[in-house]
Amino acid sequence: MIRVRFHGRGGQGMKTASRIVGTAALLDGFIAQDSPVYGAERRGAPMVASVRIAEAPIFERGVIPAPDLVVVADDTLLDDPAVQPLAGLPPTGGLLMATAHSEEEARRHTGHPGALVARDFLTLALEQVGSAAGVSAALASAACAMLGLSGPAVVAAIGTELEAIGLSPDSIRANLRLAESARAGIQRVELPVRSLAAPRAGSPVVDVAYAPPEVGTPSVTARPNTPLRRTGNWRVFRPVIDPAKCTQCWVCFVRCPEGAIELDAEENPHLDYEVCKGCLICVEECPTGAIAKVREMREWAPSEVTR
Amino acid sequence: MKQMLTGNTAAAWGARLADVDYIPAFPITPQTEIIETLAQWAAAGEIPARFVTLDSEHSMLTAGGAAAAAGARVFTATSSQGLLYGFELLYTVAGWRVPFVLVNVSRGLASPITLEPDHNDVLAARDSGCLQIHAETCQEVFDSILMAYRIAEDPRVLLPVIVNLDGFSLSFTREPVELPAVAAASIYLGEYAPGHAWIRGERPMAQGVAVLGGAVYSYFRYQMQLAAENALTVHEEAAAAFETMFGRRYGLVDGYRLDDAELVLVMSNSFATKGRAAVDLARSEGVRLGLLRLRLLRPFPREAIRRALAGRRAVAVIDQNLSIGLGGITVGEVAHALYAERDRPPLLSYVGGLGGKEISDQEFRRIVSDLMLAAATGETPPPRLLFTAAEARQMQTLLSIAGKEGAG
Repeated sequence: MIRVRFHGRGGQGMKTASRIVGTAALLDGFIAQDSPVYGAERRGAPMVASVRIAEAPIFERGVIPAPDLVVVADDTLLDDPAVQPLAGLPPTGGLLMATAHSEEEARRHTGHPGALVARDFLTLALEQVGSAAGVSAALASAACAMLGLSGPAVVAAIGTELEAIGLSPDSIRANLRLAESARAGIQRVELPVRSLAAPRAGSPVVDVAYAPPEVGTPSVTARPNTPLRRTGNWRVFRPVIDPAKCTQCWVCFVRCPEGAIELDAEENPHLDYEVCKGCLICVEECPTGAIAKVREMREWAPSEVTR
Repeated sequence: MKQMLTGNTAAAWGARLADVDYIPAFPITPQTEIIETLAQWAAAGEIPARFVTLDSEHSMLTAGGAAAAAGARVFTATSSQGLLYGFELLYTVAGWRVPFVLVNVSRGLASPITLEPDHNDVLAARDSGCLQIHAETCQEVFDSILMAYRIAEDPRVLLPVIVNLDGFSLSFTREPVELPAVAAASIYLGEYAPGHAWIRGERPMAQGVAVLGGAVYSYFRYQMQLAAENALTVHEEAAAAFETMFGRRYGLVDGYRLDDAELVLVMSNSFATKGRAAVDLARSEGVRLGLLRLRLLRPFPREAIRRALAGRRAVAVIDQNLSIGLGGITVGEVAHALYAERDRPPLLSYVGGLGGKEISDQEFRRIVSDLMLAAATGETPPPRLLFTAAEARQMQTLLSIAGKEGAG
């Protein structure tokens, strides 16, 4: 069995990418299973999708703890402690990521010694289909190339899955061209095939004791209560306010669904990037066009390594 | 040809190929994809069924029961809190003796509110008069819906059937599913033409009447019990016909590597798939472990379970449910099936997978080691919640974040 785990954000199309890989594997004669996990649906929130490909019935379910291939839709996920996209990836596994950094930088930053494909699939998608969502077909195609799934199966799978989510024939054709260039030059990676998941040491079964009601009832007294999930890392694009164009109309302040825009003593709006989820409603709503949409690019300090 | 379908889409295809007449609907996560799919097909004219959104599950089940009483083939679906909201009607319409299929997508019940699966929702309905089939795979979801109509509409049964699938681990998981041709499904099911329920101007009928007096009540309620017992035979006939036409066979219970098993895990629904892996792992280490999967929960196939478990050295039931104040629900029913057996094995009870909690290799290993000890000593350890040290540590962290004094 080969296990592929996708990491992305709600809206980046990683569920669709996982389905393209699943369908392509089925068309190539394998048994496949694909499943996304995204909790309560939130655009921009980290999500995971799992694809299992086998020649015998699959006796596993849920998120893959130890993948053979990891696909990362967005390099800002790499250092998010709530995501840990590389968790469980063995050194012999494969890593495919969309990043504006070079492959050398990606290898140094991730410390992954095995097969690595790191390309700027987002720019490729923006150029070729005019939408960030194109990264879905691009990464799916590249993943299929690394897995050695056949070209015709990939083309048929992209057609099936993009039609299923309502894309027009023109848009599907553009995505197929994008998929072709996305997989150019990518070689099949020899991944070790494990029929049984490697038995993991795991954690022993313990007793659960009665807790006093202050502890043992599901209430929350702390605020804020999401220190483990800084929503500021949900953005693919960040809104940036140009004070010169701002007329202090406060429309952005009123419309921000997260309360991430605050007013200072002079009543100028400021963004709290720790909380802003990058929904870009403020960009849409600003009547003077004072808020720009800027692609998130995280600098990697030379000493900073994901693991 | 097989295609990749989620459990939800497989359920929608079950309704489509059963050629249902009427679909009363109300959305709830993780069931919504079923009615979205059916709504799209109905809007596009791809299915002839009348699709109607209702104001609640209570109205939805009322409408479904009434339509079935008028001779329509009815499909509907819900989950968790929605099933509980319609609860009164489950009992009511089952008493009308009208067949329809209700798909429940299992999701843990509030409180605390959650989204992922366990079976307290569907098992709450176990005394309602609705029969219950619990599916392990997306293929079984589809197949069980076709079988459910055939069983429900049989004049020896005439009770609604709930087909259960797990939220997320089946509802949003795609697996290869083979769908039969429309004509074949139609031949398998035939027409729904009830001889006991109709709406006709020239021949009025009162349905859902009141009775006063326990003897009258007892008579009609016991008719439901007998109808449910008949469903054991009808299920076997439906399964045999299904195998002849479609090549897949479903028993009252399902076994995996049971033939020479000394130790047996009893599970249900999609987590039984993890049980199969645990069996393979134990077998690779020389332990003769097998799996018995409960599939038909109502009627409860007591005799099939007795035959499958008698003579084993030890049996462990993993209940993915919790009857507060009792423990696991199905372990008691399995014990009942085994009680009259002279050669009955020690019966171990575990509650695991609540709210979709993972059941890890380590937890299965703990169960296997408990089973080996019970087989050697004949002694049964007390019931246990499956919960790991890592999960306990994670819980402490979350309690601290929530501001719980004394935690951490």
